[in-house]
Amino acid sequence: MIAWVRTLAALLAVAWAVPALAQPVAPTVHLFPASDGTQAPALAIHAATDLVAMAPLIRDFQQRYPDIPVRFEEYVTTHLFQRATADCAAGRGEMDLILSSSADQVVALVNDGCAQQHRSLETTRLPAWARWRDEVFGFTFEPAAIVVHRDLVPVTEVPETRLDLIALLRARPERYRGRIGTYDIELSGIGFLFAATDARQSSLFGQLIEAFGRTGLVTRCCSADLLDDIAAGRLLIGYNILASYAYGARERGAPIEIVLPHDGTIVLSRAAMIPTHAPNPALARLFLDHLLSERGQAIARTQSFFFGMDGSVPLDVIAPGGMAAAGLLRPITIGPALLAEQDRARRQRFLTTWRRAARPVP
Amino acid sequence: MIRRPLSLATRLIVLMALVLMVGAAGLVALAGAYARLAADEAYDRLLAGAAFQIAGSIEIVDGVAGVDPPVSAFETLALAQDDRVFYAVIGPDGALLTGEEALARLIGPGPSGGLETANLVHRGVAVRAVAIGRALSDAQIQGQAQVVVAQTTLARERLAQDLTVKAVVIVAALSALALASMALAVRFALSPLKRLEAVLRERGPTALHPITLATPKEITPLVGALNQFTGRLAEHLSATHRFIADAAHQLRTPIAALAGQVDLLAHDGDEGRRRHHLQRIEERTAQLSRLTTQLLNHAMVIHRAGTATLDRLDITDLAGRVLASAIPLSDDRDIEIAFHPPAQPALVAGDAVSLGEALGNLIHNALKHGVERRLSVAVLVDPASVTIQVIDDGPGIPVDQFEALLEPFRSRGGGFGLGLAIANEVAESHGGSLSVAQVESGFAVQLRLPHAPTRGQEAVP
Repeated sequence: MIAWVRTLAALLAVAWAVPALAQPVAPTVHLFPASDGTQAPALAIHAATDLVAMAPLIRDFQQRYPDIPVRFEEYVTTHLFQRATADCAAGRGEMDLILSSSADQVVALVNDGCAQQHRSLETTRLPAWARWRDEVFGFTFEPAAIVVHRDLVPVTEVPETRLDLIALLRARPERYRGRIGTYDIELSGIGFLFAATDARQSSLFGQLIEAFGRTGLVTRCCSADLLDDIAAGRLLIGYNILASYAYGARERGAPIEIVLPHDGTIVLSRAAMIPTHAPNPALARLFLDHLLSERGQAIARTQSFFFGMDGSVPLDVIAPGGMAAAGLLRPITIGPALLAEQDRARRQRFLTTWRRAARPVP
Repeated sequence: MIRRPLSLATRLIVLMALVLMVGAAGLVALAGAYARLAADEAYDRLLAGAAFQIAGSIEIVDGVAGVDPPVSAFETLALAQDDRVFYAVIGPDGALLTGEEALARLIGPGPSGGLETANLVHRGVAVRAVAIGRALSDAQIQGQAQVVVAQTTLARERLAQDLTVKAVVIVAALSALALASMALAVRFALSPLKRLEAVLRERGPTALHPITLATPKEITPLVGALNQFTGRLAEHLSATHRFIADAAHQLRTPIAALAGQVDLLAHDGDEGRRRHHLQRIEERTAQLSRLTTQLLNHAMVIHRAGTATLDRLDITDLAGRVLASAIPLSDDRDIEIAFHPPAQPALVAGDAVSLGEALGNLIHNALKHGVERRLSVAVLVDPASVTIQVIDDGPGIPVDQFEALLEPFRSRGGGFGLGLAIANEVAESHGGSLSVAQVESGFAVQLRLPHAPTRGQEAVP
């Protein structure tokens, strides 16, 4: 009986790991040639970050350094992590800079000794929670928001806290059945990180996923899909969605409202690291410093991620005033504590609980 | 160029600085070792705490052991800010539950699951690792699960370094303070020498009175020696002065008499009286010559007492030789002469010239003033000293009068009164004494001298 269970567990583990390693999904490549048209040798940025958000930052970088071509490759977090891990183990690499919303995965890479140190005026200005070992740096401030369809959810029903959301799902189960969405935490690193952090920080999380389970939870791989579904009215409410992407979608015309849970909002800082075997580490340092500079942060705040490292929140987001001062914005500390989220056993256990309680529907 | 010896203050300060440096180096080494120990102890507790938290999360559900490492365990480890974290959890059946299998192969818990700590190399980096066991028992599973937690050593090295640097600063500050106060103390301790120097410098060339400066007991012997030296110098000076005064006085009389005789000779026309005067002049001249010789001998003895090196010599030989040369070649009297040497050698440390002069004087005195029929010289050796006796059969001299004769120019008639004074001077300069005694065969003047020191020891007069 025990042997059978273990065999099954092993098979499951293999089934989970193998396809990803065997058939890595090819990243999308975007080239930003230098001003004279050259494309190589380029600064190779490998990111689990939307091009829409990064493009203004790269262009600004090239305005300052017109001679540097940039090659931007976009991945899903888990695939980026797998590729970086494989590179590190093999002792080679083509990536100059890794940007990932899954800070826990980047911390795991750093813990495995896969990163180079970088210390500059810009990195030392970062708050202590946003860097570890001078090898991983948080460069954004992105709250996990409740996103609602502006027209299909009446103003009176817009949930401002987790308790509001639970109450709403209890009060109107039929209206919201199959219309609540969040990340597929088995596929999305950021979804998992948000859920795990939420489970730790909020005592209501258990009730919340039960409520989700009763209502029928829709899960998607990525922020873009979730936001598309909400904008199109296929979903009414999205939970723990990256507020930066949601704000960007709204800027582009999506009929959505963004709520930062008033009872405490998790904040993610996108992580950057320079791999040990980066071919152009000097270029990577240059870009990283630009990203962290006043100028880079100003671009990020106005065009890419919309929330500032100082906790400044755009006015047209539903959030109580002075959230940061009240300690309701809770950044995820980039450090060894994130290794807990990368622990296999813990992850399996959490996923099991999640599946059992939330009963997600793809 | 002659190198000046280092000053006392420099010697003391350099020596103390050396001692302090050695002490400080020892203290720093000790502090370094202690700091490492303290840092290890502090961070080992974090490691152990994390391991216990992880072990606490191991449980058996439906007959399968599982683990759910709590975030708090990682947060505990994150207190060592920049250190990388490695861990492994092994189930009771030996299967890896989570973490890295490689780590679990490096270290295991102690007997009965106790805490085990070790410095290891994992993934090519130095790590500190702890391992503990946790006993599990269930209907289906009995056994021990193992938890290994390891961390790189940056934080503990930093703490150890920090503690060491602080200790070094404290030790350096204390050493500097100690050295400064020692320098002051040395200056203070040597100040009596400076005062002594000032006192000596202010003295006139003839001021030979003792120094009466109150000094610490370490310097008192030096002052005592100085006083003794100036005392001897003063004595010597006054003896010389006295001698010069006496000599001048003694010489004036015969010279005046001689001048008188010459005057008489010049103005006397009588041939018989002229011959008489001439004879007197002859006698006076001989007398004056003897006196001069004796004065010179005395001066020589005084001079040699201060300067001549003392030889090891057998006094018996010397006494024999002096006796032989002193026997008058032409004496009317029929005198019996005897010499009694001792059975063993009579070694003394002495100046042969001075001693010969002294013995000659004693024998000469005896022949001139004492001897009627017999003269004998005996050398006696006893455990305390060597004694040379010059014995005659005359009436002798009472002890109190003898004492007076030891002063120069005290004569009982006949001579100039220098013979015994010279002998006495020689005796004293050799650490001996001159005395008289009635012995079996007559009256003895005896010169007592200490034994020569055994070879190797320095002869001190």
